[in-house]
Amino acid sequence: MDHPELTVAAAPAWTRPAVTMPIFGVLSLMGGFLPSFSLEANLYLFTLGAVMMWLGLGQRVPRRPAPTRLPGGLAWWLLPVGVLVFFEITAFAGGSTESYPTLSLLVDPLLDNYLPRALLYFGWLTGFWGLVRR
Amino acid sequence: MTRLLAIAGFVLSALLIIGVEWAARRYRKIPTLSDMAAVIMTHESGRIPLGRVAIFGFWWWVGWHFLAR
Repeated sequence: MDHPELTVAAAPAWTRPAVTMPIFGVLSLMGGFLPSFSLEANLYLFTLGAVMMWLGLGQRVPRRPAPTRLPGGLAWWLLPVGVLVFFEITAFAGGSTESYPTLSLLVDPLLDNYLPRALLYFGWLTGFWGLVRR
Repeated sequence: MTRLLAIAGFVLSALLIIGVEWAARRYRKIPTLSDMAAVIMTHESGRIPLGRVAIFGFWWWVGWHFLAR
């Protein structure tokens, strides 16, 4: 007896980590060469984001099911978020100076170097892909 | 001195994020970041997947903020 309702479409081969991770690696190595504030970096980020958005809003990529309800310990997340928001807002309100900087002012000198920049590209792309799959 | 305070605050925040995420995966009484994002992404306004657009837009902005500007 057939049970068509139980049929689950197999994920396309190109969505497997063995395919996507090397692609993200190459894209990150390329992105690492593009300096901040450049037109190239803006266009590159815009294009990558647009492709991810297109994949994430379409039906081409299979998604992992969302939980129907969250566990009760949600409030624990207020702790790290609260600490981050407190330091970011107080630094921003103070004008984000060298003596009391925001997060972006702190990491900008680090991201002037190729390797941290390429690594952040990789983390950002991998995170985006994780969201597309949810 | 205040610079060190700011750095310590961001490091503390990062450690807390890692710690809470670890606890969420270990004990299942706290939602993971991924599960929270997934629940937000189920929200729709009519036929518009508002939650997905909001989460993707936020992540897009994070990349642009740190890597392009």
